[in-house]
Amino acid sequence: MSTSQFIYVTYIRTTPQKLWDALTNPEFQKQYWFGMHQESEWKAGSPWKLLFSDGRVADAGEVLESDPPRRLVLSWQNQFKPELTAEGHARCVYDIEADGDVVRLTITHSIDREGAKLIEAVSGGWPRILSSLKSLLETGTPIPSSHQGAGA
Amino acid sequence: MSSDLTTEDTVYVTYIAAAPEQVWRALTESQFTARYFFGRSVESDWKQGSKWLLRMPDGREDIVGVVRECDPPRRLVLTWNIAWAPGQFPECVVTYDIEQAFDGVVRLTMTEAHPTPIAKGLLEGGRKGWPMILSGLKSLLETGNALNVPTPMPPKELQP
Repeated sequence: MSTSQFIYVTYIRTTPQKLWDALTNPEFQKQYWFGMHQESEWKAGSPWKLLFSDGRVADAGEVLESDPPRRLVLSWQNQFKPELTAEGHARCVYDIEADGDVVRLTITHSIDREGAKLIEAVSGGWPRILSSLKSLLETGTPIPSSHQGAGA
Repeated sequence: MSSDLTTEDTVYVTYIAAAPEQVWRALTESQFTARYFFGRSVESDWKQGSKWLLRMPDGREDIVGVVRECDPPRRLVLTWNIAWAPGQFPECVVTYDIEQAFDGVVRLTMTEAHPTPIAKGLLEGGRKGWPMILSGLKSLLETGNALNVPTPMPPKELQP
């Protein structure tokens, strides 16, 4: 089956548990994710949503796998751009692996269709979000953002 | 083209809280590269057409090429050859684009291009290595310390 996929890998000086907390804690998320945050119980089968700072839902889905602090798999459907919503559910996998005092975070965002606009859209957002997350964990300060809500 | 050959680019983007000039120095001065580029020291006079190289900690040349474009602190284009396997693998071209993304933040885009098709398996080295290298560069500029990531072994057909 043809798929569209975006993979991003970053190495962060932190622990798997701190990274897991940063990925799942809304107050932490607001600092590095364009002011957006997520709501979920982070258990397999739980609903999941990503909200703009004004409360509108940007993306939503379900937690497919949750193995803290190692692996999180979400189904992911855009909720604010009809042409992206129509593409259906993507899959977003977070893999967290420790190597000494460094943690490797791999994001794999994919959908079972060729040339998906959703994947094109998130490909621009992930490097910014994850660069900011890395800065926040390593320096205490996220990457400043010129505007908010650039997600897809 | 045979199905196991590719001309696909490898692209890596990172945002760094630094000035473009700092990122430029980190890419072109050995005092920086030795700390984040698996111990390799970069050498060149950074003029268009000049030779450039990455030297291994034991003194051997690792990567060699020519400076194709040099526009500090915005754009650096390098041809890229494995020094210890001359002629065995097609030359690739690595471009660093440095843009001021917003106040105090640089977007660094690394593009590894393959004008001559190469075996897909050979892309793996770059796809594993660049995130380590550029994560280390970002940490070095933002915190003063690079990352202690073990040097990965290249695919066995690519070992010195």
